[in-house]
Amino acid sequence: MSGVRRYIRNLVRRRTTPVTDQEAADARAAVLLGAGGSEQGAPGEEFVASLHARLRKKLEPRDQGRRRFVQVTSVAAASAAVGVAVDRLVVEAVALPDTAPSVIMPEAGEWQAVVAGRDLPEGGVHQFDLGTLTGFVERVGGQVRGVSGVCTHLGCKLSLDRTARELDCPCHHTAFAVDGRVLRHQLPIQLRPLPTLLVRESGGHVEVFVPTVAT
Amino acid sequence: MVSAEAYPDWEAVYRDNVDRVFRLMFSRVGNRADAEDLTGEVFLRALRPLRLSASVGEVRTYLVATTRTVLAEHWRRTLGREITTFDDERDVAETVPELIDARAGERAERILAALPERYAHVLRLRFLQGCSLKEAAAELGVTVANVKVLQHRAVRRAGEVAGGVET
Repeated sequence: MSGVRRYIRNLVRRRTTPVTDQEAADARAAVLLGAGGSEQGAPGEEFVASLHARLRKKLEPRDQGRRRFVQVTSVAAASAAVGVAVDRLVVEAVALPDTAPSVIMPEAGEWQAVVAGRDLPEGGVHQFDLGTLTGFVERVGGQVRGVSGVCTHLGCKLSLDRTARELDCPCHHTAFAVDGRVLRHQLPIQLRPLPTLLVRESGGHVEVFVPTVAT
Repeated sequence: MVSAEAYPDWEAVYRDNVDRVFRLMFSRVGNRADAEDLTGEVFLRALRPLRLSASVGEVRTYLVATTRTVLAEHWRRTLGREITTFDDERDVAETVPELIDARAGERAERILAALPERYAHVLRLRFLQGCSLKEAAAELGVTVANVKVLQHRAVRRAGEVAGGVET
């Protein structure tokens, strides 16, 4: 036991409540000295691991080691849609909510141009395919924005119905709005909206942020 | 992590902040065992209500606030009054963890510098280096009973000095 801890323990054991001004000043000195001493440094690995286990038990009590998707940010959601084989009609493991999510690294990735800015007029929608990421970008109120082009049910590739301005899934007659909202479906489950993508306009091009998924 | 971004899940919050919270707590309790207990309390308390859409900066600020609360409760529970507080917590949420240690080191040295050499010596041995009474006695060339008396007087003087040191 360290000198400081022992000192405080002794004080706790024989104190009157509360401690006197003098005892408080002494304790303060002991603590501030200990805080500058040789016990300084990062927390021990063992402690970090055991607290991690306690937290997991508390926060994911019924998971038994399986990782849940706790929260989906736009970037995280976009990441979840990455890494799928684009040319297959059905891509697996993208939208099943209880599959283990990839390690998400929002800071890793790159901006990739999908269409020239002048080719996306106000109200326009453009489908793009970057190999690792497919989706739709649109211009609304002068601003560009985009969504993933993969159905959140089983990962089928969506197609654009220009007349109705909706994104249709060929697999189960599901339809999404271009902003990602679920318009209609015939599934006995709750369906998540399409993940939002990070989109910007730069150098005359509309660019989409393609996150890297660590494996 | 850039402070405007958000954390993907609670594990990312934990990994990115456990070092900072631990060192912050250590800088106010002065020993690792208590710092570990209280760091655990901070995360157990903070993580459930944490809104993950909050930015990294907001999450860190919230963790610092929770750290302050847990520390205050610790002192009230054990000694009936707050012994150390976070008077100067400007930028602490964005600070690199190592800087927390460096500041604590400077505070300790400021206290020691204001004391007679023999007092500073016994306190350095006992509280900074973690020597036992026996080890300190050997180092100082006196009996264990002498060390106890010397330490008692030294702590008292240090307490007078530490009263004026900003935490």
